[in-house]
Amino acid sequence: MPATATEERAEALRMIRDSAAVVVPPDGGLGRVRGLRFTLPGIDPAVWRSMGAMGWIGLRLPEEAGGAGLGMAEACALLEELGRALVPEPLVAGALSARLLAAGGDTALLPALLAGESLVLTAWQQSADSLEAPGDREGARLFIPMAAAAQAFLLPVREGGALALYAVEGVRPETRRTQDGGHVGSLLPDLAAARRVAPNVGEAMALALDEAALGTAAYLLGLMERCFAMTLDYLRQRQQFGKPLGSFQALQHRAADLKIQLVLTRASVEGAAAELDAGATGDARRALVSRAKARAAEAAMRVTREAVQLHGAIGYTDEYDIGLFLRKAMVIANAFGSAALHRARYMRCASHPGAA
Amino acid sequence: MQDLSLDELAALDEDGFRRHVRGWIEANYPLEVRHPTRRLHWHENRPWYLALSRKGWLTPGWPREYGGMGLDAARQLVMIEEMERFGAARVNDMGLVMLGPMLIRHASEEQKRRFLPRILSGEDIWCQGYSEPNAGSDLAALRLDAADEGDHWVLNGQKTWITLANDANWIFVLARTNKGGRKQEGISFLLLPMDSPGVTVRPIVNLDLHDEFCEVFFDNVRVPKDMVVGEVDKGWNYAKALLGFERIAIGSPKLSSSGLARLRALAAAMGKDKEPAFLDSYARFSMELADLKALYESYVERLKRGEPIGPDVSILKIVQTELFQRITDAMLEIAGGNAGLLEPMEEGLHPAGSFLLARPSTIFGGSSEILRNILARSVLDLPA
Ligand SMILES: Cc1cc2nc3c(=O)[nH]c(=O)nc-3n(C[C@H](O)[C@H](O)[C@H](O)COP(=O)(O)OP(=O)(O)OC[C@H]3O[C@@H](n4cnc5c(N)ncnc54)[C@H](O)[C@@H]3O)c2cc1C
Repeated sequence: MPATATEERAEALRMIRDSAAVVVPPDGGLGRVRGLRFTLPGIDPAVWRSMGAMGWIGLRLPEEAGGAGLGMAEACALLEELGRALVPEPLVAGALSARLLAAGGDTALLPALLAGESLVLTAWQQSADSLEAPGDREGARLFIPMAAAAQAFLLPVREGGALALYAVEGVRPETRRTQDGGHVGSLLPDLAAARRVAPNVGEAMALALDEAALGTAAYLLGLMERCFAMTLDYLRQRQQFGKPLGSFQALQHRAADLKIQLVLTRASVEGAAAELDAGATGDARRALVSRAKARAAEAAMRVTREAVQLHGAIGYTDEYDIGLFLRKAMVIANAFGSAALHRARYMRCASHPGAA
Repeated sequence: MQDLSLDELAALDEDGFRRHVRGWIEANYPLEVRHPTRRLHWHENRPWYLALSRKGWLTPGWPREYGGMGLDAARQLVMIEEMERFGAARVNDMGLVMLGPMLIRHASEEQKRRFLPRILSGEDIWCQGYSEPNAGSDLAALRLDAADEGDHWVLNGQKTWITLANDANWIFVLARTNKGGRKQEGISFLLLPMDSPGVTVRPIVNLDLHDEFCEVFFDNVRVPKDMVVGEVDKGWNYAKALLGFERIAIGSPKLSSSGLARLRALAAAMGKDKEPAFLDSYARFSMELADLKALYESYVERLKRGEPIGPDVSILKIVQTELFQRITDAMLEIAGGNAGLLEPMEEGLHPAGSFLLARPSTIFGGSSEILRNILARSVLDLPA
C-alpha cells in the first residue's frame, strides 16, 4: 500500500475507535454494565439502536446490502473498544445474523436488525464447544447469547448438501444465567412455525462464524488491555511493606509477562484481520482466525486470572471492578470455539503448521 | 454398622479402616448437598459438624487426650480421601484445623480446658481476625489498637476479609498492645466473643456472589486480660505457629483431589474423557496429586511428632493451591459454553464454581508470591 493509503486506513481505524464513545462513557465507567447484570433482557434497547444508527451491525456488509462496507480491521478495532468497556449488547452475534440475512437476500428482518430496532440472533450451536452449524432439524440449539433480548431467531437447517436458513419469531428460549450477569438461551427448532429465508447459506455461515470468532478475539483483546491497565494502576497505588506493590521485582516480572501476552494477542488479531481484508479465504482464513482466537482465549484467561491475584483479596470481591473482567472472560473465552478447538483446527488448516 | 472404639479402629489394617470410614460416611452424611462448589454456612453444614462431633471424628489429627482421634498421617489422609470421594461438605473448621492445634501447643491448661471441648461440641465457631485494609501481605503492619485499661484491654480498629465471621461466635485477633519497637513486637493474640459490645460485622459479597468473608469493626470493645494466648506482646510468634497449621490445612490434598474427580466427571459429560489430550493432562494431574499426597503426609507426620513447622511448609501450600487452580483452569478449557454458567451445569458439575473457588487459595494463608519470598529468604538463604 502507498503511504497515503496506509495513513488513510489508520485514520479510519482511529475514527471507528473514537466512535465507540457513543456507547462507552468517557471515563470507561462500568455503572451501566453493573446495572444490567442479572436483569432480563440484559441489554439496553436504546444502546442497540445507537449501534444500528452508527452502522455497526452491518459494518461488514457491502453498501448495496445496507451495510457500511468496512473491513475486519475496522470491525476488530471497534470490538476491542467495546471489550474494554465490557459492553453487553451482543454485537458479534447480531452482526453474524446480519451476514446470514444479507447472504440469503432477506428483506423482512434485515433492515430492522441493521437499524438496531430489533435483535435477531442465530441459533446455530448444537454442542458446548463448536464452530460449525450442523443444522439438525431436531437438535436443540444451545448457548445463544442474550437470547431473551431477541425478537427473532435464525435457524440454519441441513437440507441435503445445502444449509438452508429459517427464521422464527415469537419464541421464548429457555435461559441460563452466566457469570458476567448475562445469560445464554437454548431452543428446540420448530420448523413448522418457521419461515424459510434462503435455500443455502453454507458459505456465508462458515465465513460469518470465522468473523465472529475473530471479533470475539478482538473483544477479548480490549477486555484484557483494560484489565491490565487497571492492574498496573493498582500496582502503582497499593502499598505494602512501605512500598508500592509495583516496586517488587517478582510483580514487575509478572506484569512484564502479561504485557508480552497482550502484544502477542494484538499481533495475532490485527494480523489476521489485515489478511482477511487482503483476501485470505478457505484454509488460510481458518488458520489465521484459529490462531488469533486460541491466543486471545488463553491470554485473556491468564491476564484476568492474574489481575485478580495481583489485587489480593479486594480482587475477589464483587464490589471491586477487576473481577468483572475475569467473569466476562469466563463467559466468552470459549465462545465460537475454545482454544483447544482452534488449536486442532489450526493443525488441519495451516499450510505448514510449525514452519509458518 | 458396628460402632468401633478408637482402639478398634486403630487395629484395622488400612483397607479395613478405609472401608469402615467409607461405610460410615455413606450411612451418616446428613446433608442434601454433596460436592458443594462454595463454602457452606454454619446453618447449612451444622448437621454434618454435629454428626462428626457425636462420632468423635471431627479432629483426626488432634491427640486423643484432647478429644481427637490421634491418627497417623496415612490414616488422616484416608479420611480426607473418603470425605472427598463422597463429596462431603467442608464444615466451619477454623477451630478444628487452626486454632485448636495452636491452643494445644501454646495455650494455658485453663484455656485448653475452656475452649477445646466447646470447639469439639460445636458450641464455639471461630473465625480468624488477622488482616486489615492496610495489613494484608504485610501483616505485621497491623494496627488494631488494644489500650491497656488495667484488668482488660479496649480494642478499636478494623479487621477485614474474615472468612465466615458472619457464622462465628468467637474470633481470635492480632492486636497491637505495644507501639514501640519493631513492628513484629507489641502484637498480642487475643480471644473474644463476637457478641462483645462494640463488635460489628459487615459481610462482603465475593466473586462467586456469596457473603463468605466480612469486615469486622471494633469500637471500644473490652477484652479481659485472661483472654490472651501466650505472652503479651509476643503474639506474632503464636500467629506464625498458627500460620504453619493453616498452611498444612490448606496444603491438604482434598481440594485438588475432589477437583480432579470433578474434572474427570466433566470430561465424561463433555464426551472428551477418551481423548488423548485429555488423558495426558489427566495423567499429569493424577501424578502431581500423588506427589502432593506424599508431601502432605510427611508434614502431617511431623505435626504428629510435635516437631516445629518451619518455613518450608510454604512449599506444600504452593503446590496444593496451584495444582487445584490448574485443575480448575482445565475444567474451563474443556467445558465449552458451560464454562461461563452462573449455576451448576448439572448436579455436582459446576466448572465455573470450582474455578472461582480455586482463585483465592493463592491469596489467603500467605499468597503464592509471599510464600516464594519466604522460601527464597528463609529456606534458600538468598540475600535480601
Ligand atoms: C477468600 C479469602 C478469605 C480470607 N479469609 C481471611 C480470614 O479468615 N482471616 C484473615 O485475617 N484474613 C483473611 N483473608 C485475607 C488474606 O490473608 C489476605 O488477602 C492476604 O494476606 C493478602 O493481603 P491483601 O489481600 O491485602 O493483598 P496485598 O498484600 O495487597 O497483595 C496484593 C498482591 O501483591 C502481592 N504482594 C504483596 N507483597 C508482595 C511482595 N513483597 N512481593 C511480591 N508480591 C507481593 C500479593 O501476593 C498479592 O498478589 C482472606 C482472603 C481471601 C481472598
